[in-house]
Amino acid sequence: MSSGLNIFVLVKQVPDQGSKAGINPDGTIDRAKAKRMLNPFDRFALQAALHAKKNYGGKVSAISMGPPPAVEILLECLEHGVDDAYLLSDRRLAASDTLATAFALFKTVAHVGKPDLVFCGLQTTDGDTAQVGPQLAERMGLPQITYCEDFSIEGNKVHGRRIIEGGYQKVVSEMPLLITVANSYHPLEYKSFRGAWRVQRLARNEEELKKYIHTVDLDLVGADPERTGLKGSPTIVAATEKVGEIGGNCRMHEGQSIDHLVKDVVKETNLAQFMTV
Amino acid sequence: MTDNQETQPDVSQFCPKGDVLVIGEQILGDLQPVTLELLGAGRILADKMGQPLKCLIMGHNLGDIPQRLIEYGADEVFVADSPELHVYRTLPYRRVVCDFLDSLSAPPHTCLLGSTTTGRDLAPRIAAHFETGLTADCTELDIGPYEHKSKVDPTKIGLYPNCLYAIRPSFGESLKARILGPWKNPQMATTRPGVMVPNKQDPNRQGKITPIPVNLKQEDFRLIVADTVREISKGVKLTEADVIVAGGFGLGGPEGFDLLRELAAQFENSAVAASRKVVDLGWIPYQHQVGQTGKTVRPKLYIAAGISGAIQHRVGMSKSGIIIAINKDPDSPIFKFAHHGIVGDCNQVISEMIKQLKAVKSGKGVEAVVGSH
Repeated sequence: MSSGLNIFVLVKQVPDQGSKAGINPDGTIDRAKAKRMLNPFDRFALQAALHAKKNYGGKVSAISMGPPPAVEILLECLEHGVDDAYLLSDRRLAASDTLATAFALFKTVAHVGKPDLVFCGLQTTDGDTAQVGPQLAERMGLPQITYCEDFSIEGNKVHGRRIIEGGYQKVVSEMPLLITVANSYHPLEYKSFRGAWRVQRLARNEEELKKYIHTVDLDLVGADPERTGLKGSPTIVAATEKVGEIGGNCRMHEGQSIDHLVKDVVKETNLAQFMTV
Repeated sequence: MTDNQETQPDVSQFCPKGDVLVIGEQILGDLQPVTLELLGAGRILADKMGQPLKCLIMGHNLGDIPQRLIEYGADEVFVADSPELHVYRTLPYRRVVCDFLDSLSAPPHTCLLGSTTTGRDLAPRIAAHFETGLTADCTELDIGPYEHKSKVDPTKIGLYPNCLYAIRPSFGESLKARILGPWKNPQMATTRPGVMVPNKQDPNRQGKITPIPVNLKQEDFRLIVADTVREISKGVKLTEADVIVAGGFGLGGPEGFDLLRELAAQFENSAVAASRKVVDLGWIPYQHQVGQTGKTVRPKLYIAAGISGAIQHRVGMSKSGIIIAINKDPDSPIFKFAHHGIVGDCNQVISEMIKQLKAVKSGKGVEAVVGSH
């Protein structure tokens, strides 16, 4: 391919679980107050997309769906070296489940162009479903490699390695192809000073930034609003219940020197019964 | 009010009772335990509705697998047998399932898969194809009524008598969410291996085995599997270990796992596991992750070092025999459900534990290393 690969990477902004900001006393999350971050799983997808570009040539576009602050993670993607980014932002997307999300992303991807490779994180940390990637592949009619932990490209073929229970599979697929990247793939490299500097300058100039980060809505990408948001979602959260405290009779060992604490536990649980002979 | 009730639309067409279908899973002829667990859970749902439990299994030369599926609770087993289905591949398996569901006069009420690398690859494709709801990684399933009151779509307001309750822990919260999708059958869900309980095998159980056609298309072969490798020899599988030594963020860094490996080596049939946070940080590969998005385990002994015990981790290990938790924060949630809690620096505690166990093994006994104060 003389013009190089057209590579898309799908990313999502999620609440930072490590931060206590925005966590209500009842355990629910105030997403407006919570600290935001790039979905940790997407870091591997981003690295895979950048690898593909570096090793085989082409262009990387980052695509996200979310409220306006999600622009932050697209800036982060630009700093790491993606060429341009698209944010699908629309109030009518609220309460979309995975099916409705995959539909909206499918329309956005079609609006952006024809990819050779689409990279997604294995799953998000706020939904934990791992469904959107394969659902998008289904909409696009593409083959997929999920749980992909390594890949290389020869001609029009992608050679990938995917995790299975107690082992792995080696697969060979034609492009176009959708890949969900496992976190046993290479971790995301640090952004280059040059990349970060360039993006920081860019971020100060709104007009210039618009050339790199394109914000689109449902009308622009041609997605029927009836098929997104609450209306387009076949599932709803019907009820939530607090998980009751279980056990509650933990025998606590504290206050003594560590060797005595350990000795007590070793004895009381008879740890020797589990030992190798 | 009565007016309102009279004009309430009839929603009974949305989710009629129907079969419960389990999509079974085998790897190279090895029937996966999650399939038996799904038959156990599916049997309960089917009996609640007074409907049959069916199972679809795909592969090649499946031997006694279909019969075993009956012995574990299926009333009818549909078998798709073809050399092209020998190993799992997304597109051929997807084709068989979609064609099969299309061939039925009415879709199943519920369709269940395991949340394995296979089920999580296949289920979303099926759900997207039929534009139906799918809930991932459920920890409980049930059938029950639901009254929909939302006015977003007035045609959907009403009482739905038989809905699949797909119950899963919800993000970052000590909450369980009940997720429903009664507007379209099949209502789909995946469950994690190790969560549902299989029935006892009954060799006298009778059922029907029905072969189904396999008609693959050229486009289903865009991806080929060059090799399937199972690394059985590479250590004990997490789900089969008797003892699990697990580490979290409190370890302080990836090198903390060296210590955990050394501790695990003291135990018979043991394995090392991790919380999601440290897997996300790249301290240890994903295969070691225990919890909602990792594996569900129930070893005889679970030692949790530097793991706070968020609900996502708890659902993956709370059924372990003895849980020993080590954490320097005495208010850590893990102490609410562990059996023994040690408050202290987990690296120091683990080092000490290794030392004492080695002393026990060498016959010196713990007294030799722990002086009396």
